[in-house]
Amino acid sequence: MEKNIYAYKCKKCGQLHYPYRTICKKCGQNEHNEFDIVPMAKTGKLLTFTHLFTLPADYETVKLSLGVVELDDGMKITGQLKIEKPKIGMKVKGKVETVRSDEYDKRLGMVFYEA
Amino acid sequence: MAVDLEKILRPEEKPMPPFPSKYVTLASGDEMVIRQVDRDEIPDILPFIEPLLHVERDYYNVVAARVYAELLAYYTYRVQDEYVLIAQIDGELAAVVNGRMVNADVAMSYHTVALRRGLRIGAHAFAAKMEYHIDILKQKEVLIVAESPIGFRRWMIEYNLEKRFHIQHELGGVPSWALTKELFEKARDRLVVGRRPVPPELLEKAQAGILPPSDPPTPPQDLLAATRSLYDTTATALVGMRKQLREKQNA
Amino acid sequence: MRDVYVVGIGITSFTRLEYPLVEIAAYPGLMALRESGLNKVDHLYVANMGGGRINGQTGLASAVVDHMSLTPAGAETIENGPASGASAIKQGYMAVASGMHDIVMVIGAERMREVNNLEATDFVATLTHPHAEYIYGVTLPAMAGMFARLYMEKYGVTSRHLGMVAVKNHANAMHNFFAHLHQPITLEGILDSPEAATNNPMVADPLRFFDCCPVSDGGACVILATGDVAKKLDKPMIRLAGIGQATDTHTLHERQEPTDLLAVRAAAKKSFAMAGVKPGDVDVAELHDAFTILEIVESEEIGFFKKGEGHIALEKGLTKPDGKLPINTAGGLKARGHPVGATGVAQAHEIVLQLRGEAEKRQVKNARIGFTCNFGGFGNNVVCLTFIKEKEK
Repeated sequence: MEKNIYAYKCKKCGQLHYPYRTICKKCGQNEHNEFDIVPMAKTGKLLTFTHLFTLPADYETVKLSLGVVELDDGMKITGQLKIEKPKIGMKVKGKVETVRSDEYDKRLGMVFYEA
Repeated sequence: MAVDLEKILRPEEKPMPPFPSKYVTLASGDEMVIRQVDRDEIPDILPFIEPLLHVERDYYNVVAARVYAELLAYYTYRVQDEYVLIAQIDGELAAVVNGRMVNADVAMSYHTVALRRGLRIGAHAFAAKMEYHIDILKQKEVLIVAESPIGFRRWMIEYNLEKRFHIQHELGGVPSWALTKELFEKARDRLVVGRRPVPPELLEKAQAGILPPSDPPTPPQDLLAATRSLYDTTATALVGMRKQLREKQNA
Repeated sequence: MRDVYVVGIGITSFTRLEYPLVEIAAYPGLMALRESGLNKVDHLYVANMGGGRINGQTGLASAVVDHMSLTPAGAETIENGPASGASAIKQGYMAVASGMHDIVMVIGAERMREVNNLEATDFVATLTHPHAEYIYGVTLPAMAGMFARLYMEKYGVTSRHLGMVAVKNHANAMHNFFAHLHQPITLEGILDSPEAATNNPMVADPLRFFDCCPVSDGGACVILATGDVAKKLDKPMIRLAGIGQATDTHTLHERQEPTDLLAVRAAAKKSFAMAGVKPGDVDVAELHDAFTILEIVESEEIGFFKKGEGHIALEKGLTKPDGKLPINTAGGLKARGHPVGATGVAQAHEIVLQLRGEAEKRQVKNARIGFTCNFGGFGNNVVCLTFIKEKEK
């Protein structure tokens, strides 16, 4: 089954949020958690990136590439990059994969590749 | 009779190609010379390692104790195929690195001691050591361990060393990591820095004598503060120690 | 609302301190009491971020108030990430201005080096959004790196400009006894020489080793009081005239314009409005340069320079100690150090010293109006303070 990252759509006014919030940031009229979940697009444009070398203890790699992507549906997301030479503005496509794991938990998130 | 015994006790004399001196510019703008020292200069280095035996922080005490032994063993011909490189800033001792050849292909890296902090001097000295083993002594891999977490972070993680956990390292028999020639080549532009030849005045100043470090690591004010604070969260022992120290100082 | 004045200050060395956190907090408080001639306070605020997680001490203020024998005065621990210090000062201000208390002590303290570097980095990374950032391994340097890259692309800031900030702040710290790093650096050493890559390795591309502040322990204190208490001192009256605070989205990617620090802009505006002064009136400023890019961007968002021209002002030397607007005369976070909870209070400490004329070799001539910017999280919670020296009595 294909995995997605979901945005949260206010049931009253339709405003999309990622990550989720308790109160809609546009109308503020929803009841707590009155959101529909909507899968976000997986393709987009790379807005900025960095290569991180001072990693938290549970990472065993030397370098981690991270970036902010503007998805084709207008939402923005932070994700890991598996791109040799990232450039601002390049087209990327994403997949949901394991992005962090300590001894017991695997955390899933978006990893972007060159489109 | 005494001469024959000494011959048995000494290591085999195997000439090693010398380390060609080089110099680097540090973040402070100072120039640092890295050169090899021979046995006759060891007595000049030992007095600067000795005070570190009492610095109970960042494993300086463990490293200093081991380095002191290694340098002394080198000086008295009791170690096989050891070498010592030093780094100097304006003649002042800034770092000491050493190691030895296990055989023609495998090296055993011993220690890296930085006597001035904050300028990545240890990183430069360690890199020089690796260059010596791989480029000059033409060995295939270097076995490495670290006593301090800082060392671990810098070397195991940054250079992606290979695990050789089945080999017990000479420094305490702990599982070894290895820098292979392949890894060295990948990291060459980061590892092999420094310029040769050293400008004559710079080299002359360095060779003229090994001067005392101007800002070496010193023991914390409270002698057991570092160790105490690890185990004694009430700090009552700390206060007691401080009182004792003050009384001793005032006496 | 009554006027609020700073009547006492104290600070420890920012370095690795091998003393318990409670002592690191108490010592500057002690210094401030001695300096002001007071021997009790009505209330204590302690700014601290890591007490629970790193040092195993929650309720730090309750511990400190007893450690300093100031009971039964009330006490609270204030946590606002790296902006804890200025937030605690804000609480102190409100307590005195409202008439609730007359004398309030504000301490900022942190002991980050009780744990190793990896732990400390992970601890600071908990400021990020747990589901949208933390799980990706995003740390504060990573966010600063992404921000810096975009800024460099859009406004033409270069690694050289970042290096200039570091060189300036290191030079400034040489005159500050309490600073963490007393190590002058040169652009040649960190950028130009063939060995620069080893001297100044990448931390979070494009930010390098010398673009990021060190991990420090330390404490600072200011005592806030009414005008009546301040009059009795034999020192110039320094009034905390303006406070502004603003927040922004938690995640970096949701910011409206990723190269803007809107929280800084709004907080500074409120602070100036409350104090009744303009950015051009400021004589000396302490900005939050946890990463060198931030000093440049904050100086623009606050209004000292036009947007996108902060690095040009830096080039011209306007922010040097002898320039038109000296920034970070005590070394900034880069060279003075950054014990997270203490920084906001340490910034106020330096401004008060400057306005009093007690900054010795760092003294900015005729400093009358000072400004601090304490940056919480990564630009999502900012507190700005404006201090004014009143006319000599």
